[in-house]
Amino acid sequence: MLDLVQSILDGVLFGATYALIGIGFTLVFGVMHKLNLAYAAASVGGAYCGLLVMGLVHGAAPPWAVFLGAFLAGGVIGYLVYLTCFHFIPLTSPLATLMATVGMLLLIDEIIVHVTDGMPRNYPAVFDDVMLQAGEITLRGDLLLVFAVSVVCMAGLLVLLYRTRLGLATRAVSQQPVAAELCGIRVTRVNAATFVITGLLGGIAGALIGASVGTLSPLLTTPLTVKGLIVTVIGGLGSIPGAIVAGLLVGGFENLFQMYRGVTERDLYVMLLLFVFLVFRPGGIFTHGAKRD
Amino acid sequence: MDFYYGLAQIIGVHTLLGLSAYIVLLTGQVSLAQAGFQAIGAYTAAMLTVLAGWALVPALAMSALVGALVACAVGFPALRVRGLILVVATLAFGEGVRLFFFNFDYQVARGGVRVGPLGGEGFRQIRYFPEHGWTTLEVMLFIWAIVVAVMAALWWFDRSRYGAVLRAVGEDELAAQSVGINLTAIKVSAMTVGGAIAGVAGGLFAHYTTHIEHTNFNILVATFALAYPIVGGLASVFGTLAAVVFVQGFLIEGLRFLGDWRNLLFGALIVLSMNLRPHGLLDAPTLARLKRLVGR
Repeated sequence: MLDLVQSILDGVLFGATYALIGIGFTLVFGVMHKLNLAYAAASVGGAYCGLLVMGLVHGAAPPWAVFLGAFLAGGVIGYLVYLTCFHFIPLTSPLATLMATVGMLLLIDEIIVHVTDGMPRNYPAVFDDVMLQAGEITLRGDLLLVFAVSVVCMAGLLVLLYRTRLGLATRAVSQQPVAAELCGIRVTRVNAATFVITGLLGGIAGALIGASVGTLSPLLTTPLTVKGLIVTVIGGLGSIPGAIVAGLLVGGFENLFQMYRGVTERDLYVMLLLFVFLVFRPGGIFTHGAKRD
Repeated sequence: MDFYYGLAQIIGVHTLLGLSAYIVLLTGQVSLAQAGFQAIGAYTAAMLTVLAGWALVPALAMSALVGALVACAVGFPALRVRGLILVVATLAFGEGVRLFFFNFDYQVARGGVRVGPLGGEGFRQIRYFPEHGWTTLEVMLFIWAIVVAVMAALWWFDRSRYGAVLRAVGEDELAAQSVGINLTAIKVSAMTVGGAIAGVAGGLFAHYTTHIEHTNFNILVATFALAYPIVGGLASVFGTLAAVVFVQGFLIEGLRFLGDWRNLLFGALIVLSMNLRPHGLLDAPTLARLKRLVGR
């Protein structure tokens, strides 16, 4: 029983990173009604750029500087993805945009492999020697930090979306792009801003994943893409609270099945969870079963 | 020379894979499950020839049938959802199939060796072609005979009422529905045909590589299957073929002299080609121009 609670808790804490990735997918979908398949790769790429900070000062950089580097680099990569995959491709060919983001995913992956010679890199861990005891249950310090930073990022995003002019414009474009444009909102600029914001979040998510796993490798991109997409669908496309809850849910669920069924079968059960949601809740966690798209 | 025959085999199988995604794309559905159907076809055909001792052609027919049945079964629930949710649902299905074969053991002792699929190590000793003395050229010709047959069938579909209905659903679902087209039947039938083609592609793949494992059917393969018709253009079946030759022949084999840089260029060229030709290499105007050239 204790093992059960412990593994679910670890999973939920780590699930915060899935929630961040899921938010990235869902925000771009909400605003542009398009899928950015390069997002998880861009996040991992941002995390790698964070390591460059380490290289600049010959390995003496404090972990927060690495995180900051990842955060900023994520934003830059997000803008580049927007420019290469969305800006110049006409809105009438959604398949071309989808394929371009796949190309971008491969490109980012290969750049990482090329620069690092395909070797996994160590990532600076924070608080990995701290263990909090709550009764019989142990809380890993690094996972708690992952969770805390994710919560701060989500809170920041919600403030940005609901308390600023940019957020208002973003929500307007996501509801009615044509009407928003008629009101004088520059849709392309809002779209670009969305990519920068999701990129910033992705950079942090990548750095957090690197810090809690301990190493960073380009092999992370595919599972992260899949998990992020699953989180997006379970949470409901375009729903940020849904993505947060779904991320934590998938994290806990995955760790539970890792304990009971082993690491090779773990993801199979996550897929089954997705299908359960698709059958009974196709609109996501927070909508009623009847609404479908 | 065997190298070029081998390359032609790869191009043939990838063309089939691309065509299986092509027919689904015609109805406006984006399916990332094609690698999953291919995996099912591959394991089915290989188990039939290696473990049950079937001949190749009936085994391939069986893998087409199983692929079609599974695709039909996936089609019904998956097509309740549309657009991007379908992308994710089919992606999850494909990954689920891969993970299933990652955990799938079924071994039988045959002539002192244990043969059959063995989890992460995959399925070795699919030695139908060498055991029956097929040369590389013969294997290549066999694969291409099937490719030509499938392409001819799809080309003919495109000219029939069925093809027009498929495209009508792809262009505008609401309009198609309002003239009395049964959306579910059309989408599921396209998915089923796609599953059958992917199943055959899998069966052929298993036999010319002689060793299959779960990583042969990962997301990358699924995105490639989708990439061929999109990069090539949906205007005709030849677009898919052109894209496979462009990707497998030029980007992968032709640029091999670049060494490491080839992989970097690969993604960049896909991004570039989508920016320059958003409707594919062989889009409708280009095709019309080509037709005029040939006609004259």
